[in-house]
Amino acid sequence: MSEASVLKTALSISGASCQGCAKKIRHALEPLTGSTERVEVNLEDQTVALPENVDSAEAARIVTEAGYPAEPLVHNEPIGSCCASKNGKSAADKAPDSDTPAASTDVEPSDAGDGQIALAVSGATCASCVNTIEKALMSVPGVTHAHMNLADSTATASGDADPQALVQAVESAGYGARVIEDADAADDRKQEEDKKQYKVLLVKMAISLGLGLGLMIWGMGFGSMMVTEANQLTWINLGILTLGVMIATGGHFYTGAWKAFKHHNANMDTLIALGTGTAWLYSIVVASAPEALPEMARHVYFEASAMIIGLINLGQALELRAKGKTSEAVRRLLDLRAKTARVIRDGQEQDIPVEEVQKGDRIRVRPGEKLPVDGVITEGSTRIDESMLTGEPMPVGKGEGDEVSAGTLNTHGSIIYEATRVGSETALAQIIKLVKKAQGSKPAIGRLADKISSVFVPTVMLIAVMSALVWYNVGPEPAVVHMMVAATTVLIIACPCALGLATPMSVMVGVGKAAEYGALIRQGDALQTAGKIDLVILDKTGTITEGHPAVTRVHAANGDETRLLALAAGLEQHSEHPLAEAILDRARENDIEPEPVSGFEALNGKGVQGKLDSEPVRLGNRRWLEAEGLSVEALDDAAATITREAGTPLFLAVGQQVLGVIGVADSIKPDSEAAIRRLHDAGIKVMMVTGDVDATAKAIAAKAGIDDYRAEVLPEDKAEVVSEMRGKGHTVAMVGDGINDAPALAAADVGFAIGTGTDVAIESASITLMRGSLHGVPDAIEISRATVKNIHQNLFGAFIYNSLGIPVAAGLLYPVWGILMSPILAGAAMSLSSVTVVSNANRLRLFKASHTKVSAEERN
Amino acid sequence: MTTFLVNAGGLALMAAIVWWFWLSGSNSDNSDQHH
Repeated sequence: MSEASVLKTALSISGASCQGCAKKIRHALEPLTGSTERVEVNLEDQTVALPENVDSAEAARIVTEAGYPAEPLVHNEPIGSCCASKNGKSAADKAPDSDTPAASTDVEPSDAGDGQIALAVSGATCASCVNTIEKALMSVPGVTHAHMNLADSTATASGDADPQALVQAVESAGYGARVIEDADAADDRKQEEDKKQYKVLLVKMAISLGLGLGLMIWGMGFGSMMVTEANQLTWINLGILTLGVMIATGGHFYTGAWKAFKHHNANMDTLIALGTGTAWLYSIVVASAPEALPEMARHVYFEASAMIIGLINLGQALELRAKGKTSEAVRRLLDLRAKTARVIRDGQEQDIPVEEVQKGDRIRVRPGEKLPVDGVITEGSTRIDESMLTGEPMPVGKGEGDEVSAGTLNTHGSIIYEATRVGSETALAQIIKLVKKAQGSKPAIGRLADKISSVFVPTVMLIAVMSALVWYNVGPEPAVVHMMVAATTVLIIACPCALGLATPMSVMVGVGKAAEYGALIRQGDALQTAGKIDLVILDKTGTITEGHPAVTRVHAANGDETRLLALAAGLEQHSEHPLAEAILDRARENDIEPEPVSGFEALNGKGVQGKLDSEPVRLGNRRWLEAEGLSVEALDDAAATITREAGTPLFLAVGQQVLGVIGVADSIKPDSEAAIRRLHDAGIKVMMVTGDVDATAKAIAAKAGIDDYRAEVLPEDKAEVVSEMRGKGHTVAMVGDGINDAPALAAADVGFAIGTGTDVAIESASITLMRGSLHGVPDAIEISRATVKNIHQNLFGAFIYNSLGIPVAAGLLYPVWGILMSPILAGAAMSLSSVTVVSNANRLRLFKASHTKVSAEERN
Repeated sequence: MTTFLVNAGGLALMAAIVWWFWLSGSNSDNSDQHH
């Protein structure tokens, strides 16, 4: 598509940099256009073409919501107000210093962290904070997309904004911020800061709860919470003491609330500040001028203000500790890194810090040591434990020429290898980057929660005032006390912290858990969609099968199998085809010397031929040999057996005599069948696409337990099969490994790149499986289902808490049972709700995939 | 009189909340479209 397609309304977008993004945009627009086919995404121009009758403003809104800031590209005037710039300029001619937060198209998109500025944010506690911070970042010129992750307190801004301007924007919105330059150092620093913060919160909690409890005990046990002439001065003094403690232990709530207020925002701090502030103000009025109120209303609530702050501090401390646990997966990956490397330079072995290792350095690794960087073995052989990266439990044999990865463990022999990738280029560094990015991404369900919470706090404030008025007008005496208690309790109980934490906490644990199982999830959306998959389409070669054909059967017409193999090997030694490899491997295994065949020639789609002592030697398929006038009928039975076993029969003829048939098959991976069974158990249909002939495909499908297959599918047609299945209403996962699978991976709802897939396949897939086993697919699906379930539980809990808590706090139960909730109880309930959400997310850490359970049972 | 003042004050406060958080302000009017 290009902008030249004048008949279609075009959108300008930013941030879409891969086929996965294009797919996401197409799917997002599907409800509007009726079909993904009617949406064209041009990644190069960063534009989207749509049918003319589609409302481009609505389309821009949808695409923006999908995570790619978009604007209608109109040449007259903006179609809608939502995403068009305020000054009426189109995206193309918009000034870069525009102060509207809309996207500008002249900024290079970023996807894999390039062009993104990461900030460590402090003071963000709830969903409203997320909105405030994202809004603040979007208002900085040059920012195309902003994202705040509450779970690890980081924010990222895409575009070409000035980092200091971003810091200032966040700070002026009421939060602390600093630019993360070195992600690793930032992690360590954050851990340190969190520890310190945890202690500070506990101390603050002790002081404020101590005062609150003390006042309560004193008031109830020795004096009275009612102000009288005798205790008026004492209460005034206690009120001033309470104010001091409130500022010392909860000052951050008041400053946060004020900064948010100045920006027309309201957040959790606003509710706490208003709640505790109202209670204190009322109490100090009572203490200073009791005669202004009826006698029944002369009750003070200083203890409530202090205790609420204490309880919220306690909740935040517990939350901080639980949050630390959710990032365990990344920390475990970080811990895999070796600190030093034994490098051989000028014939001398020396231990140097891993940061100083350069490409081309030769490194010695002894048994029991971790590999410091990626490289290729040049001397020695060993077994390497790659379980930490791939989840593959058995150490893998490696010899000269084999690639090895940083972070894996040398279990056996001593090896020397040459460094090929160092520092941030190593596979381990890439994995860490990917996991961190995915952990911070927000699935659609999370965006919904954010949207709700952005209007939530002001709404709660309205409810608080309304309930106060109702109590004043129709409530029993002392009306003024009741209205104050109801308003304070509503404000305190309604904090949306649980709502804000519900999604990011679960995503963080879920993505980390998937990484533990060797599945790298690229976006939060993939995590959500993977749980809904009902059809898995598998590529055959390299996915279900090993990807390296092997000889399964050798049948000589005259019984001389050695000569048959020698002739075949003589021909195939000139070929580089995988089938040739298989035949040569078998000949080598049996110590058979290849015959000296000359004049080699490969005939596409037929076979290979050469000459032995001027006699033609042919090895190929039946059709070709029969076309050459040779009869292979005598070998029909053997050929049928080979086909039945999912092999390909290759007939060998010397001159006009057919000597025999060799069966070559790509054997099914030992655990493919079990993995497919697990998919069936999860209620998922499994389909295979392959370029093989029908008979072979049928045999493989039967052997592996596959429900349905499509044979003789050209690589470029795989994507069509995927689209067809999606058209039938399936939520489709495509699993593949090669470059030719990339379009199909991108066309699927969720693409899985398997094992040592090519970079293109990995780029097009939303989930990458680090080991070759198909078990990664059911693992990832099970983890997704568990994570989505966990998010639902969290959101349900948070919504229920608020929707039940607010009416009770407002006093709805009073007319029936005479119950009016205390503000202190509201504070405790609010803290408990966040702690519950975080703990529930942490439960996911105990998740075990079904095959792990099965194998554990089998062992017992 | 007190009743009138309290109710009028409450309604004014509600109107102020609506005005401050929804109707006025440079960045609250377009935030939803971006997130």
